[in-house]
Amino acid sequence: MSVRVAATAVRTCFGDGPSTFAALSRGACGAAPLRLYDPAETRVTHGYEIEGGPRLFRASRWLTTCVDEALAEAGVDRSQQRVVVLAGTGLRELSAVEALATGGAGAEGFPAERLHFGPALTLAGACSAGGHALALAQDLLELGEADAVVAAGADAMTASMLAMIGRVAAEPTTRVRPFDRDRTGVLLGEGAAAVVLLPDDHTTGGPGPRVLATGLSCDAGHETAPDRAGILRAMRDAFARAGRAPGEVDLVVAHGTGTELNDPVEALALTELMAGHAPLVTAIKGAVGHTSGGSALLSLVMATYCMESGVVPHIVGLRDPLPEAAALNLVRDRPVAARPRLVQIDGFGFGGVNAVTLLEAT
Amino acid sequence: MIELDVHAAVAGSADVDPAAVLGRKGLFGKDRATLLALCAVHEALDLPPKTPRSPAEPDPGVAVVVSSNLGNVGVVSEIARGLRADGVRSVSPMLAPGASSNVIAGAIAIWFRFGGPNLTVCSGAGAGFDAIWLAGALLQRGRARRAVVVGVEPDDEDALALHSLRHAGPAEKLTGGAACLILSASTGTSAATATVTLRDYGPPPASPAVNAAVNAAVNAAADAHPDTPADSARYGAAGVFAVCAAVADVRAGGPPRHLSCGDAADGFRTLRVGGS
Repeated sequence: MSVRVAATAVRTCFGDGPSTFAALSRGACGAAPLRLYDPAETRVTHGYEIEGGPRLFRASRWLTTCVDEALAEAGVDRSQQRVVVLAGTGLRELSAVEALATGGAGAEGFPAERLHFGPALTLAGACSAGGHALALAQDLLELGEADAVVAAGADAMTASMLAMIGRVAAEPTTRVRPFDRDRTGVLLGEGAAAVVLLPDDHTTGGPGPRVLATGLSCDAGHETAPDRAGILRAMRDAFARAGRAPGEVDLVVAHGTGTELNDPVEALALTELMAGHAPLVTAIKGAVGHTSGGSALLSLVMATYCMESGVVPHIVGLRDPLPEAAALNLVRDRPVAARPRLVQIDGFGFGGVNAVTLLEAT
Repeated sequence: MIELDVHAAVAGSADVDPAAVLGRKGLFGKDRATLLALCAVHEALDLPPKTPRSPAEPDPGVAVVVSSNLGNVGVVSEIARGLRADGVRSVSPMLAPGASSNVIAGAIAIWFRFGGPNLTVCSGAGAGFDAIWLAGALLQRGRARRAVVVGVEPDDEDALALHSLRHAGPAEKLTGGAACLILSASTGTSAATATVTLRDYGPPPASPAVNAAVNAAVNAAADAHPDTPADSARYGAAGVFAVCAAVADVRAGGPPRHLSCGDAADGFRTLRVGGS
């Protein structure tokens, strides 16, 4: 059984969903000098921050806003229906833990319960947490364990994650360049996304696109480096569960982090999967940064805008594709007019956790 | 309703020596929670001490679901203090996986070559039962034939300090340790010696007001089936430890056990071990 996307809500450095899609379509890059973290401490100078608000508990605030907005739009009443909210995240509210450890604002402590996103069920799944929330949302609906599930994701930044980016970068980078030969690494983006999913049956039939399936896998190989075999397992799992073939895909919204390791591995996995078929391939992290726990859901929401508008935004930051992507039909330089019906959405994370979703227009 | 067969249930000790269980190789740089978790899984798989790690390809039929709230709090605090004191060059890249909250589940998958779905639940006091519930969903939807569920909390100073700030926590200090369950979708046969049943599992409460209603419901249910509360001082690991103890009782011939897990901040969940 597929499930229906009843409503969506997002927050990025560009604002809400329509503002974010408009920014993607005009090729905007939301990267700017970091305001909330000291570059001297982490060796990261830029990021895709959301303007305004205090430094702590940012992700919780955006998550709550997105979940409330999406449930209201979907007309789901939490007091009448069994509604589960699954919140995927990489970093939870660990910035508050850092404040507690180092002194300064927040050092006076906070209720430990605020580390997670209660009453949402918090899932830590690094950069594919949102994709895992989607998979479980569909599973729970199919099993009748809930009447509606909100697959959500949110992340702000932590000094510890910034430090790991700064530690391994040859030079501090100023923007993300997915699939570019001269890509200079990843930058974090702040953001949140919420997608209300309902059973796709006659009682809830509506116009929203369908999530056909999400394939899951774990590389079980390396903590931080991606693995082509593991990624391909998640992709093939998605097609097997959906009963579809890669040759039917019209658009891939790639994970595309602009890192040395991810982009060639993902490009080669896609080339192998598609076996000569060449759907459009786009990616959003050049515009909005790596929004970690929200990133797969944000890609899915942008895919719904592509379906509605007949416009597929190009990969912001891409000038000269890397050689491993030679066989891919990367959307470059300007948006293309296309109304994709079947879209593949990739999400891969630290820990080798992979989630690949298939979304179909109705 | 989700019904699961229990194939192994191991409540690990907090003062286990990882090198004696796992062997020395590969332990360097791993945080305490990850080591405790690896030891519990090693025991649940019934492997002899220091069994060499398998070189086999990852098995996509085995899922990993970890419940832990404080697992990487110590590593993140250590990185943050190092940055503040000596800058980014002083921070070891060996700590990188620990910056992400799913480090334990990833490490278990790598160590034992479990290539199936890999989840980390950090939902507070009810995380252990949430992990079992989601493992049940994965199993019943055919995403894996076995699920390795691990509840684990460390007992380092940073974890203890944060735990002491729980709004709805127990008076006791955090109890560290890891417990492991190996589960499959129920086959209805007698092969397994215990089952876990999640009936009307219900979502976590939406607000403090709903929370009170949930508490009332749990109390009302307790009249019919005396609920045994999980040990809240084990926090994210509490639910898995509680099921391990109940499985041992049921296997020893005891009656079915009705368990509750959670607290007033995160809400309560219930499940039953044994019986039908």
